Amino acid sequence: MASVATGADIATSVGLRRRRFMERKSLLALLLFLPPALILFTLFIVLPMVDAATFSFFDWNGYGPITDFVGFENYADVLTHRNFGTAVRNSLIVVAVSLVIQLPLAMWCAIALSERGVHINVLRTLFFLPFMLAEVAAGLIWKFVYDGNYGLLPAIGDGIGVDMPFVLGDKLWVIPAIMLVITWKYFGFHMMIFIAGLQSIPTEVIEAARLDGVRKWQIVRHIKIPMIRSAIVISVFFAITGALQLFDLIIPLSNGGPSHSSHTIVTFLYQFGILRMKLGFGGAVSVILFIACVIVALAYRRILFRVEQN
Amino acid sequence: MKRLALAAMLGLALAMPVQAQTVVKHLHITSIPAEVELMNSIAADFMAANPDIKVELPFLENEAFKAKLTTLLQSADAPDVFHSWGGGVFYEQAAAGVLRPIEDVLSEEAKANVGTAGVSAFTAPDGHLYGVARDVSEVVLWYNKALFEQAGVDPASMATWEGFLAGVQAFKDAGITPIAIGAKDKWPAHFWWSKLVIRLAGQEGFEAAARGEGDGFAGEDFVKAGEYFLQLAELDPWQEGFLAATYGDASGQFGDGLAAMHLMGDWDYGAMKDNSADKLGIPDEELGILPFPTIEGGKGDPTDTLGGLGGVLFSRNASDAAVKWIEFFNSVENQAKYAKDAYYIPIAKGAADVMTNPFKAQIAQNIGNAHWHANFFDQALGPNVGGVVNDVSAELAGSAMSAQEAAELIKEAVDDSL
Repeated sequence: MASVATGADIATSVGLRRRRFMERKSLLALLLFLPPALILFTLFIVLPMVDAATFSFFDWNGYGPITDFVGFENYADVLTHRNFGTAVRNSLIVVAVSLVIQLPLAMWCAIALSERGVHINVLRTLFFLPFMLAEVAAGLIWKFVYDGNYGLLPAIGDGIGVDMPFVLGDKLWVIPAIMLVITWKYFGFHMMIFIAGLQSIPTEVIEAARLDGVRKWQIVRHIKIPMIRSAIVISVFFAITGALQLFDLIIPLSNGGPSHSSHTIVTFLYQFGILRMKLGFGGAVSVILFIACVIVALAYRRILFRVEQN
Repeated sequence: MKRLALAAMLGLALAMPVQAQTVVKHLHITSIPAEVELMNSIAADFMAANPDIKVELPFLENEAFKAKLTTLLQSADAPDVFHSWGGGVFYEQAAAGVLRPIEDVLSEEAKANVGTAGVSAFTAPDGHLYGVARDVSEVVLWYNKALFEQAGVDPASMATWEGFLAGVQAFKDAGITPIAIGAKDKWPAHFWWSKLVIRLAGQEGFEAAARGEGDGFAGEDFVKAGEYFLQLAELDPWQEGFLAATYGDASGQFGDGLAAMHLMGDWDYGAMKDNSADKLGIPDEELGILPFPTIEGGKGDPTDTLGGLGGVLFSRNASDAAVKWIEFFNSVENQAKYAKDAYYIPIAKGAADVMTNPFKAQIAQNIGNAHWHANFFDQALGPNVGGVVNDVSAELAGSAMSAQEAAELIKEAVDDSL
């Protein structure tokens, strides 16, 4: 019996060929478009990361070849450092404040400002303005506000007859003062994400609910918030990673002081790793921070997955 | 004929790069505009006399300079010449091989010009000379005569530590801030600890502790220095909000006449005016320098001074032209210009003679007569130990740490880096 190619056979072989052609085409696209991103990513992110991880096992002051292998000593030094606990605590406080105060505030503003109108646009711009300021500029502005001699805060204190402390020189007040600046600086960003989410909710849904006599609060609680869940997940992710990386607001405001009481993990790294020329120590801090970020990212993926499944 | 001309032109074009200028990059940290102007004019004079050399004067702000230098020196972009305070940081740079030894290139005249102290300050432990000293500075106790009169405190009564504490109390009672301090920057606080250590432990004690001998910085004299510092701190002598104040803030408050004393380097003479609200500061006739109080039983010599010996270092790839430029820059004639405008006290022999400013002249004399001119401790001890010294000094100023703990933290840092 002579073998005869059936129609189905032909169809599959054509399909295969087409798929191969498509693969080749996408391979070409890959070869064309991937290298620039990949090279930059490797050069500026992967290699420095590998470098930092390597440093963390050596005693190195930044000069000359790296020779003095010390094993995990740098990690032990970081974990037993008298200021590392404070830095971690502060970073966690920033995360907590971002989640508990900043995001609800942003949500509240977003719901209030998600309609259209001139005055609403003005308010929106006003709230978003701090986010557009450079971190260092914002830090300097608030340093002047807080300044105990010539600042706005003591002037207000004088007005109401209260003696204001030098907040940035006071171990008790420096953290709340910084938290206020962080909230002021970033809530507008989250507000914008939420507004974008709210505006994508079809108006029919809300109108229908209104016709059914659902009250305003219930609309927010049961319709608006659930429908922008993915925007919230993104916001939470930005808030957490941003909090872990917080650096450039702290430097002009308090520079980690007084008595190293307002360091975040990154300013701690800069102060004790870079400025004190203990690059191995700094490498160990960065590896610890990296691991923390990876854990957050993985946890975030799981949560996101669950949200999408619902 | 035409062909010959063409060939000649070609040859000329080829020869051109050989005659190209040698570029000398001199990285400095001078921010006062008039002083930069002076530096530019000296460079212009030099380039006019040496058309084959081009001097460039890039600038980095003080803190940025410290943070960036390590990377910069190991890059292709390294400056040929750069500012240095000597001490531990310089030794680490020399040991890492990022500097160029210049003892064979630098003229004998230029070496004699900076004196033995200048040469030894930029000689690394390996015996090589890597830099040229430029200026000396001293940390002194500046005081405001008008405020002393107002509080009825006799400056002479402050010569001993007990008298000093009594004087501080008298200012407190009169409602005047006794001392301005920029404790946010920390190094201004470390001057107090340093001066106490100089009085109590002296040169031998300090140098032995820095080498980690015996009890090191946890030794008796150093704990005592902390205790004396705490005695002062407990009188609450500083301005309000001193932990949030930078050096510039404190300098401005002293310049505005809001505090009676300020323990600071001689540069504060100009900075105090610049930082004050009216840009005039304290007039010369109301400004004075107090000797740091002596302490009974202290091992230091009464003439000992604290300060710096600044200069420049040559990086690994520096050319001979760079050395030539610094010889010119550091010559007596050019340094006398700096002395005349009282920017700093030049080390070049004879340059300081033209100094008409009485304060700078007195300070130059103090240093000349000193048994020991101690380098700033945070520089002498290197960035890590120096950083810890600064930290604990700020803590002591705020009465937030015991003298024992402070001493042990410094010793720990020394042991770590040995």
